[in-house]
Amino acid sequence: MKRFAVLICSAVLVAPLLASCAGAAPGSATAPRCSSIERLGLIAQSVPSSSYVPCITRLSTGWHTDELVIRSGATTFDLVSDRAQNHPVRVALRSDCEVVGGVPVPPRTLGGRSYLALHTISPRVTGTLYDVFPGGCVTYRFDFERGPHIALMADLASSVGLLSRVELDRSLREQLGVELP
Amino acid sequence: MSTVTGPDGAAPITPVVLGGGRRRRPSGEPPPLPHRVPASGYWYLGGLAAAVALETTMFFSTPRDWLTRLDDAVLDALASARTAPVTAALRQVDQLGSSTAIRAISLSTIAVLLLTRGFRQLLTYLAVLLVVVLTTGNLAFALGRMRPTTVSILVPWQGFSHPSAPVALFAAALSGAICTLVPSGRWRHRVVLAGGALVVVLGLARSYLGVDHPTDVLAALAIGWAFPALAYRLVVPEDVFPLRYHPHANRAHLDLSGARGRAAHRALVQQLGITATSIEPFGLQASAGSTPLRIRTADQIVLFGKFYALNHLRSDRSYKLTRMVLYGRLEDEKPFATVRRLVEYEDHLLRLLRDNGLPVPSPHGFVEITPEREYLIVMDFIDGARELGAAPAGEQEIDDGLRIVRSLWRAGVAHRDLKPSNLLVKDHQVYLIDVAFATVRPTPWRQAVDLANMMLTLALVSDPALVYERAVRQFAPEDIAEGFAATRGITMPTQLRTRLRQDPRDLLGEFRRLAPSRAPVPIQVWTMRRIGLLAAVLAAGALAAVGVLAYGQIAGLL
Repeated sequence: MKRFAVLICSAVLVAPLLASCAGAAPGSATAPRCSSIERLGLIAQSVPSSSYVPCITRLSTGWHTDELVIRSGATTFDLVSDRAQNHPVRVALRSDCEVVGGVPVPPRTLGGRSYLALHTISPRVTGTLYDVFPGGCVTYRFDFERGPHIALMADLASSVGLLSRVELDRSLREQLGVELP
Repeated sequence: MSTVTGPDGAAPITPVVLGGGRRRRPSGEPPPLPHRVPASGYWYLGGLAAAVALETTMFFSTPRDWLTRLDDAVLDALASARTAPVTAALRQVDQLGSSTAIRAISLSTIAVLLLTRGFRQLLTYLAVLLVVVLTTGNLAFALGRMRPTTVSILVPWQGFSHPSAPVALFAAALSGAICTLVPSGRWRHRVVLAGGALVVVLGLARSYLGVDHPTDVLAALAIGWAFPALAYRLVVPEDVFPLRYHPHANRAHLDLSGARGRAAHRALVQQLGITATSIEPFGLQASAGSTPLRIRTADQIVLFGKFYALNHLRSDRSYKLTRMVLYGRLEDEKPFATVRRLVEYEDHLLRLLRDNGLPVPSPHGFVEITPEREYLIVMDFIDGARELGAAPAGEQEIDDGLRIVRSLWRAGVAHRDLKPSNLLVKDHQVYLIDVAFATVRPTPWRQAVDLANMMLTLALVSDPALVYERAVRQFAPEDIAEGFAATRGITMPTQLRTRLRQDPRDLLGEFRRLAPSRAPVPIQVWTMRRIGLLAAVLAAGALAAVGVLAYGQIAGLL
């Protein structure tokens, strides 16, 4: 009985705490904007070879970022639209990637290449967008409802920018006195 | 006459001596056992304050740049001292901060606390882990600090650099395990030193390997080690919630050796004029609501004492809450607000019953050990007495027992805990002890239940027909019928219920056959409070499953 009572008490104690803190939990960190140079510096550290780092330029109405994970070897985060609630776009920066079935699209970086690989087009439009550049690659895995997907793809392309490592390094040196390795 | 030095070197305070060796505690004199935070507590507090200052500094760019330069200088020095064997060894040390190691420590601690029924420690451990995880994660994200840039990083990493999450979580898991599992004393001291050394070595290793700045490690030490150490001292201090691993040990019983024992001796002299030559635990098996003691005085008198502390008050609260949820409002069972109220109540009841001619141990009052936290109530010790259930009872004991209930009724009191261990026999006279549960002007059926419980207790060591025959000499048959019509499992103390189950006779049925027939007396009351509590319990039960899962994920245990 005492064990049961303690279990109940712990639930009563912990549940509201969890509810209030869940939004601020480490797992729910948001992706940095292109002006947050120190945060972008850590992303650059995660893939030291990459000549570009992904960042948020401008989020269209109804979009937010979530689940930022920066670790040695890769950085990932989610882009979530209120029109595709349970299907976030997973953005990942790695040192390389294998472009499977992608067709070239206009490049988004200087000296780089971009590809679009569609996996399905009905009933949902799913696929991966690739930005490949020297020393790195950013992938965007999306899964949108057919119809709204055109506007969502446009939002996606305008939300994520790619900041060159050279420019980031210069900003870090000027503003923080830090030099990227 | 002794004198007491006033605070801050003020002039000595001359105590006022009352009759019988009692004295008033003058203003400025500490109580017998002052509530003190150990010296290390101030160090931990200082560490936390320094961490708050450091974190505040980190939010401002200029001082943060200075700190980064300082960090870089230390890291450069460490990197220049790198050698292959040391690097290889410290790579292994770095595994202490891995999620596997932290999970292993945390889950083992939780398992041991569950097995040893250290529920308060367990809840505190979980809460502290959660606070450390959330504080570390949120601070790291808010500050967004890069990893060191001037040296090469030799091990994998994840997340922002400040504060160092692996060091903070490892420290929190380990300090929690030590504070909740290792009893205080020489061994605890050694284990704390060893644990602290491990945490420091992990921090040094991570700086050497270039993955954390030195200030990342310092902040993590404050959050992961100093904060939990303070939290455990405040919430589950070991002097109030002792850690015992002996199979028969009861965590409700306090250790009366050392400072607490000396304080009890001093308090007895100063507050009651009793010079005790020894204070020793007595009858621990029969008590869980206090620490029972036998006190021998310089006059060769033996007294009985009950030591009450915060843990007993909290047990009383949870016991009454559980009863309310399970059984409804059996009678007015409001929990006591403070330890002082609890001990005052028992002292008052003893005096009330004595004044009404009941054979209870004569009260001598109570003494204050630590204000609002620890008290010792003193009463006569019935030397040479045995439990009523220990030997067959004759007509004299039966009449005595029944007379006790008669006197309780006359005094307007229900004892509410009549059972073999609370009825002592000495020279064929029955004594009533442990009046802490008694209530004045109780619910009417509760007094009738006292009669039934007394008759059942007497029948266990005699014959129910004889008990009934003696009872009708003092009570109307209708009173007896009411008692057994109101009696059922939840109205009987656990010990009495157990003994009845062990007895091959159907004593309750026998009495019901002997007494006039009467419809059962309703005793459970469904109040709005009980309904609300029950609803809260069910809702909390549903939340518990979700909470445990979410907790495990946030705290990194799953």
